[in-house]
Amino acid sequence: MNYEIVCGIETHIELATKTKIFCGCTTEFGGEPNTHCCPVCTGQPGSLPILNQKVVEYAVKAGLALNCKINTRSHMDRKNYVYPDLPKAYQISQYDEPLCEKGYIELDSGKRIGITRIHIEEDAGKLVHENGYTYIDYNRSGVPLIEIVSEPDISSAEEAKEYAEKLQLTMRYIGISDCKMQEGSMRCDVNLSLRKPGDTKFGVRTEIKNINSLSFIQKAIVAEAERQADILEAGGTIVQQTMRYDEKTDSVAPMRDKENSDDYRYFPDPDILRFSIDEEKVEEIRASLPELPFDKLKRYMNVLGLPEATAKLIFRYRKVAEFFQGALAEGASVKNAANLIVGAIFSNMDTEEEKELFDIRISAAQFAALVKLADEKKINIGVAQGTLQKMLESGKPAEEFIKPEDLAGISDETLERLCREAIDANPRAADDVRSGKDKAINVMFGYIMKKTGGKADIRKAEALLRKLIGS
Amino acid sequence: MAISKTDIEKLAWLVRLSFSDEELERFTAEFDEIIAFADTINQSIEGGTEQIRSVGARMVSFDELRSDEVAPSLSNEKILSNVEGYNGFFSLERSRK
Ligand SMILES: [Zn+2]
Repeated sequence: MNYEIVCGIETHIELATKTKIFCGCTTEFGGEPNTHCCPVCTGQPGSLPILNQKVVEYAVKAGLALNCKINTRSHMDRKNYVYPDLPKAYQISQYDEPLCEKGYIELDSGKRIGITRIHIEEDAGKLVHENGYTYIDYNRSGVPLIEIVSEPDISSAEEAKEYAEKLQLTMRYIGISDCKMQEGSMRCDVNLSLRKPGDTKFGVRTEIKNINSLSFIQKAIVAEAERQADILEAGGTIVQQTMRYDEKTDSVAPMRDKENSDDYRYFPDPDILRFSIDEEKVEEIRASLPELPFDKLKRYMNVLGLPEATAKLIFRYRKVAEFFQGALAEGASVKNAANLIVGAIFSNMDTEEEKELFDIRISAAQFAALVKLADEKKINIGVAQGTLQKMLESGKPAEEFIKPEDLAGISDETLERLCREAIDANPRAADDVRSGKDKAINVMFGYIMKKTGGKADIRKAEALLRKLIGS
Repeated sequence: MAISKTDIEKLAWLVRLSFSDEELERFTAEFDEIIAFADTINQSIEGGTEQIRSVGARMVSFDELRSDEVAPSLSNEKILSNVEGYNGFFSLERSRK
């Protein structure tokens, strides 16, 4: 029996604000335990939380980038549960008036995965369990999060991965989070149930908590769907429970300590005033958004005419895309600029992280100046690549490395003389070209390039050679 | 919702308070009354929390929210001054389930 996967994803993303959501403590990662804390974020009685404007702005940005409707009025609620990582015994979150609702992410197939809502809330502290004791660090307590809840529109492990990947890329692009899954600044919970094809009712679902890599999302879904299918096939029933994915065994098992009450007794937090954000402000934030990544990708391919593979290498890193576009604005050609970035600059950057940071020593304008020399055929692409490496190492502009004779170019007379020499030196190749073996012309190209140190304009040379050979 | 003596015992244990048996009896009864009172308030407001929220609630605008500027945190000593700390952490003996 085949089953259909019905899956939704809840994603928590830590916002890259300087301070926590309700106090002025720093959000800096790490630090000695309990040194980024104050009465508010350790839940001392009588302390008053004050909402950080940047958190609202970033959440609205996220909402707009994910095609959501922004609620111009919103408030915070208390979500009650007792656990030592939560010093107040409630988390300040949003329940019935989230900041953003009803958006979507479009997959490559054109299918849209609905976004139910995006709300803002505070992160909890970190617990270390050791020798029968629990040690608590509240540095992370109060770090702002957004929770992005998808509709159960996802119907395969691949779709889930693509959804999460696109979400991550978009959030990075708009600059609201670094979304590092390994470091916990992006965490996914996956809800999953199975049903027979054609069924309209949902089956009983389980929730796989805290998945910390894109590929684990895919693997966890495969493992859990198999587990549920086995149970259903054997005539059993699925128990609604919280699961954990274990990457070492590639399997899914129920979580042991589940404070799994779904009754959080939400109510509006009386300490925090309801807040409004007017349409004008929303439009101002919309105007501040950069071109979104997948719009950019389409433009690179359809308007700039970049091949898909090259476009995909450049668009996904915001800083690389900015550098590329900066060079185009300075007059560099699309093709040479893209090829030099992908072929030469990326050869020094092995990891995703390095490309994401794109910490290089030359400006887009300096890069463009070099590209233009290649565009104008004053240097060939090999010289350009070599020069670029030297520029990257030293941070110095192209003219430091290109000798005047490199730039002089080859005069038409010299080129014609060289073409004649090339033919005289390779009579057999010339005959071959004459009799239609076109590839033989490469022998003469080789001769000319060697004599000119690679500086000859190969297209001009080809035209001349053909004329002289009479092919 | 009725409060039992066991509930009060649990709460007392959680907040590190000890009570005599008479005190426990008294607190159980008082707690019950307090909860009943809260229930009464709840029932008397039509529309529940929605109603509470709209009563005289001032709304802050986006521009009035706190700007994102770091303020000094408290020292670790100060943060841990009312608890048993361990190496800078809050420490808890693992509780019975
Ligand atoms: Zn604080």
